[in-house]
Amino acid sequence: MHEPPQDPFNAGDSLTRRDFLKLLSTSFAALSLVGCKLRPPKEKIIPFLQQPEESVPGLASWYASTCSGCPAACGVLAKSRDGRPIKLEGNPDHPLSRGGLCARGQATVLDLYDSQRLRTPWQGASPISWAQADAAIIAKLKKSDAIRIVSRTVSSPSLLAALEKFKQRFPAARHIVYEPLSSSAIVEAHHRTHGQAVLPHYHFDRARVIVSFDADFLGTWISPVEFIKDWSANRRLDKERGLMSWHAQFEPRLSLTGTNADLRRPLKPSQEFATLAALGRMVARRVGWQGPLPPEEGAPGVAESLLEHTAGMLTDAKRRSLVVSGSQDPDAQMLVNWINVLLDNYGSTLDIERPSRQNRSDDAAMDQLIEEMKRGQVSALLCLDANPAYDHPRAADFVRAMGRVQLSIALADRKDETAALCGFLCPLSHSLESWGDAEPVPGVLSLQQPLLSPIFESRSALETLLRWSGQSVSAYDFVKEHWRQNVFSRRKGKQGFTSFWDEALRRGAVTVAAAALPAGRFVPDALSRLKPARRPAKSGDFELVPYASTALGDGRQANNPWLQELPDPMSRVSWGNYASFSPGDAQRLGLEEGRVVRLSVPGRQAELPVHIQTGQAEGVVAAALGYGRKNAGPIAANHPMVKMLPLERDLLGGADLYAWLKTQTVSVTVTPGRSPLAKVQIYDSLTDPLMGQKRPFVRETTLQEYVQDPRSGNPEVPEEKGLWPRHEYKGHKWGMAVDLNSCMGCGACVVGCQAENNVPVVGKAEVRKSRDMAWIRIDRYYEDDRTSFQPILCQHCDNAPCETVCPVLASVHSTEGLSMQVYNRCVGTRYCSNNCPYKVRRFNWFDYAHQDLVQNMALNPDVTVRSRGVMEKCSFCVQRIYSAKFQAKQEGRQLKDGDVIPACAQSCPADALVFGDLNDPNSRVSRLARDSRSYRVLAELGVGPSIFYRTKVRNRRV
Amino acid sequence: MSEKHFSVLRVPLVDGDKDCRQVTRDICAPLQVGPTRLWYISFAAAVTALLIGVTAVTDQIWTGIGTWGLNKTVGWSWDITNFVFWVGIGHAGTLISAILFLFRQHWRTSINRSAEAMTIFAVMCAGVFPVIHMGRPWLAYWVLPYPNPMGPLWVNFRSPLLWDVFAISTYFTISLTFWYVGLLPDLATAAREVAEPWRRRLYSWLSLGWDGSQRTWSHYEKLYLLLAGLATPLVFSVHTIVSFDFATSIVPGWHTTIFPPYFVCGAIFSGFAMVLSLMLIARRVMNFEDYITLRHIDAMCKITLLTSLIVALAYSTELFTAWYSVNPYERFAFLNRIEGPYHWFYLVMMTCNVAVPQALWSKRVRTTPWVVFLISIAINIGMWLERFVIITVSLHRDFLPSSWTMYHPTYIEIATFIGSFGLFFTCFLLFCRLLPMIAISEIKGVLHHARRAPGDES
Repeated sequence: MHEPPQDPFNAGDSLTRRDFLKLLSTSFAALSLVGCKLRPPKEKIIPFLQQPEESVPGLASWYASTCSGCPAACGVLAKSRDGRPIKLEGNPDHPLSRGGLCARGQATVLDLYDSQRLRTPWQGASPISWAQADAAIIAKLKKSDAIRIVSRTVSSPSLLAALEKFKQRFPAARHIVYEPLSSSAIVEAHHRTHGQAVLPHYHFDRARVIVSFDADFLGTWISPVEFIKDWSANRRLDKERGLMSWHAQFEPRLSLTGTNADLRRPLKPSQEFATLAALGRMVARRVGWQGPLPPEEGAPGVAESLLEHTAGMLTDAKRRSLVVSGSQDPDAQMLVNWINVLLDNYGSTLDIERPSRQNRSDDAAMDQLIEEMKRGQVSALLCLDANPAYDHPRAADFVRAMGRVQLSIALADRKDETAALCGFLCPLSHSLESWGDAEPVPGVLSLQQPLLSPIFESRSALETLLRWSGQSVSAYDFVKEHWRQNVFSRRKGKQGFTSFWDEALRRGAVTVAAAALPAGRFVPDALSRLKPARRPAKSGDFELVPYASTALGDGRQANNPWLQELPDPMSRVSWGNYASFSPGDAQRLGLEEGRVVRLSVPGRQAELPVHIQTGQAEGVVAAALGYGRKNAGPIAANHPMVKMLPLERDLLGGADLYAWLKTQTVSVTVTPGRSPLAKVQIYDSLTDPLMGQKRPFVRETTLQEYVQDPRSGNPEVPEEKGLWPRHEYKGHKWGMAVDLNSCMGCGACVVGCQAENNVPVVGKAEVRKSRDMAWIRIDRYYEDDRTSFQPILCQHCDNAPCETVCPVLASVHSTEGLSMQVYNRCVGTRYCSNNCPYKVRRFNWFDYAHQDLVQNMALNPDVTVRSRGVMEKCSFCVQRIYSAKFQAKQEGRQLKDGDVIPACAQSCPADALVFGDLNDPNSRVSRLARDSRSYRVLAELGVGPSIFYRTKVRNRRV
Repeated sequence: MSEKHFSVLRVPLVDGDKDCRQVTRDICAPLQVGPTRLWYISFAAAVTALLIGVTAVTDQIWTGIGTWGLNKTVGWSWDITNFVFWVGIGHAGTLISAILFLFRQHWRTSINRSAEAMTIFAVMCAGVFPVIHMGRPWLAYWVLPYPNPMGPLWVNFRSPLLWDVFAISTYFTISLTFWYVGLLPDLATAAREVAEPWRRRLYSWLSLGWDGSQRTWSHYEKLYLLLAGLATPLVFSVHTIVSFDFATSIVPGWHTTIFPPYFVCGAIFSGFAMVLSLMLIARRVMNFEDYITLRHIDAMCKITLLTSLIVALAYSTELFTAWYSVNPYERFAFLNRIEGPYHWFYLVMMTCNVAVPQALWSKRVRTTPWVVFLISIAINIGMWLERFVIITVSLHRDFLPSSWTMYHPTYIEIATFIGSFGLFFTCFLLFCRLLPMIAISEIKGVLHHARRAPGDES
């Protein structure tokens, strides 16, 4: 079973000393895993920007690949150390994600080392070999007369080609795509209005006015990283003053996107249709629309003056505006299409000629499949990385219907809810273990290259389908061949295939020509027949809003400890699901945070702890999808991370809301139970509760005032004189600039930091005790109807209060302005933490050693794993500073601006964090620090923080 | 005997018209007879409490300091509260023995021995907390500036915690030396009083060969006076330095220049309250009512009342300064004590430390032992709460509202606190049985015949 590790670059040669050491190190790594192996892939892979011979043990190599976290298929750079991928970062060369990568995407590297993954194929209750599995499955497939393949969105052209091959061999096969977070209504609406069943490719960067109806496009909707990049480009004030985009959001619950909007009003789902119709009529009146109008159904949920204002803004920005909606109701989506047509946005901010392939859900086809299965018409069902038994609204029907399917095969990474029902389990390789590609938008392609051979006995879907289709070609050859035939021909330059392929591998993404679909013409006839799908709740009941949370998304990564511990940007709750109520409703029902309520409709009920959410629409209860997984693993079930604490199996945190996706209204019963939320931030406002004084940590102004006075909202504050002589920084002086206007609170930096710096996950019980360990956190404050986010990390003070108080000199100052913590000198008095005005220091209350030994493979060997009783905090990624210096020295040059990028700044999709040398007057950070918007938090204490925040500028017109 | 004439201005310090032999017999009585049932019960309770504490601390060191209720914002709570509380209690002993000695307050002789013992045991209890509150207590010796092969790594002389190490250890050493030197003549006396030869030899050995000669006495008195002079500044320095832990920090509510006198005075206040509590029990249980008379209680009550008033002044100065500073964080920190989530603690603290001691204005209260006892217990509670309010209530809501948390103690912290009382009383009860509780030689010096007015022949 265990083949010796192979070195791809020295195959066939005798062992050199270096190879021997490599072998030794990988063998040790392999030894630490029971029943699994770790070795480089057999095929040639090319490191990003580095020649293979430089791949030295102890030095990291970077490979460009594609993220598998969701079908948005962002480009990633995977960092490999000693044969182990340990970190994912955004690929700056990817034309859509442009170097950004969300929290979920970054966390996929930990999924690779999930010990819950299947380690071998299974038939029923017995493990089998791949040869046995292949033989048995092919034989059975041959006998099947109706084969159905259920998958999530496949954005890989090679995998689609392989599916075609499969269908050629088994003509009885049909492929059904469904996505837990469906965009089916948008596709359906375009089918009806434009005759094209497509999902438009949205261009938020071209929109000066954005109006969103419950579309959380900065958080979870379709392709968040791409949209954040596009959206934030127009939120920066660096170049063009007064040209900031204006963004209105109408939504039932406070979403990440809503918190960043210039105008936000709560809107019940039942009012969305009427509001859209009213807005449409106002725009129609302004643009002189002659066609039919939608019916006036119900009253809009937003004040008419606001809607008029919004309509005016939209019409003024004709062709430069965008209206989007997250509604699952095709009729509402048709209204959206109509408004965008009125504003002439098609072809500008929405592209349906080269539509997005990032969400291809076909809800009708899935419903049809369940009916077929019920009737016993499906003889073989192949679940390809899809988990409908958990994440389909009709999961219960699906589970019952599974009983009538003779042959059920799951291609899954773990024995998930669907796989548990299947006769055959075929372990699926992680994207970092397999070849593949993606074409999220026509003409934008990226390659997915493996960094290591599968750790377990798993295979990629591509490989498995090819094998079953009778193709004896490897996944690598298949992808390469597919590209030679289908992608190479569309290239823009004149290079040969080998150099095109090598270039694609190195850069990770290519842009090639793509044929445009015919632009459908808008058919207005359907407008007058529209009617709202959602009805208001009867009095006393609540409208239910199930939503995808920023941390967990659709829940496929529910067993990922980084994501479970990542607090929600708005509620600041980690670990577990909760039901959000508006403060008014909570008061009326007598609810307090953590009280357990029962949501019920006839025949179904769910219990969830209460969270009280400012900004939520009255009469609405919202709860997240992606929780309540039974088969994902112990993390998903919120088992404790720390052995010594009393077992706390909190099943309350885990209600599964997928079954409720189609539920419109629920009744709410208050139970006597309590389940405290694991909140990392308890107090929500910058205004203190006793004196009502607002603390000036987040400074803000409006665009209008800012244009008048660039220093508006940012008064000078005198600093206290220090007793000590100031440190002198002769060489570098590291600092950071944080643009509060760009930061939208997504939390990508938190996971990026966690991965880079081996920040431990502490579990629900510890977070409940306010012992979260994050080195960078995003504070969220509510002030009236405004929300502000503020990333807080160690401020690396010049006069650091933490440094003077440590009795053993474990907290010391570097010559380059870093406040450093010497872990092995720390005795743990916690005095430094008490004396830190920013409270960024984190203490190891227990040995937060990762119990999952497989997961420990994701640890960064450049950063010490801290033991118990030791204080830790942000180091400005000192290991990156040193490796950049080392590199510059090797290349015989000075360190230049941008050579050092800490993990948080690297991962920020909004480019809100800029790191650099404050001693260099031309560095980006120096220029930003001198900006009129620049200020430092608590600088008046005289501590001399090195982090410069820049005021938040809101484009508040109403 | 009936013809004695005493100065009307000199109230007798010892009742019962004792002679020297009687004094020796009375005070050495506990060393010779077996312990009473009450002692056994108390000792069992104290040892039980100590064992509870030992168990809790073992568990905490074994599994991690996470067994306490601290969190990312509140890094110190009961641990340092208990530390300051015990150090404070440890103040009265040296104050009574050294300062009152220098001021020739003869009434101190009845209580100085046990007050000094109390000091030593309280400082022992206090010393436990800075060690066990560390994340890695097995490395506690790293706070000492000893030559080492790690560089050598030195300590941070700018850290108030390091100043604490020196202040507390110096104070403990001097207090112990002072107490032991004071014990020398009495150990010699005890060596003659006890029956068993091995105990005689032990006490004799402990008395460092005391021979009672004029020369020995002369050396002894000089040494005692010098030590008293040496110990006096320490009474002020120790708690001043403890207060620097807070005063030199930047936490609103800690960053206050008033802290050194405020802490010293609070310490004397709590120390006297603890002496009162102990003496009121001891005079009853050990039959020392003739030696620790109501007049002693009365004198101690007066000092307690005075220190209570100073503490009240400190509290109001603190509030005034916060208001006068116009510093929003400072103002909030104090308002948060009064109106915040822990306002009950502040209310009880004010009641116990400021309101209750006002009863001591009345002579009747001062001379009613059980009332004084209740008041002294209230002061002990109030002073513990004062430290809790300063430490925890300042920390839990500091600058950034995003980091505000609440603190709740765990059973481990409560058990550790109980354990510290166990340690204290175990030591104190052993002291009562094994050493003369009252300075015999000094008492003999203040008996009536020794204080007779010149020319008063009988």
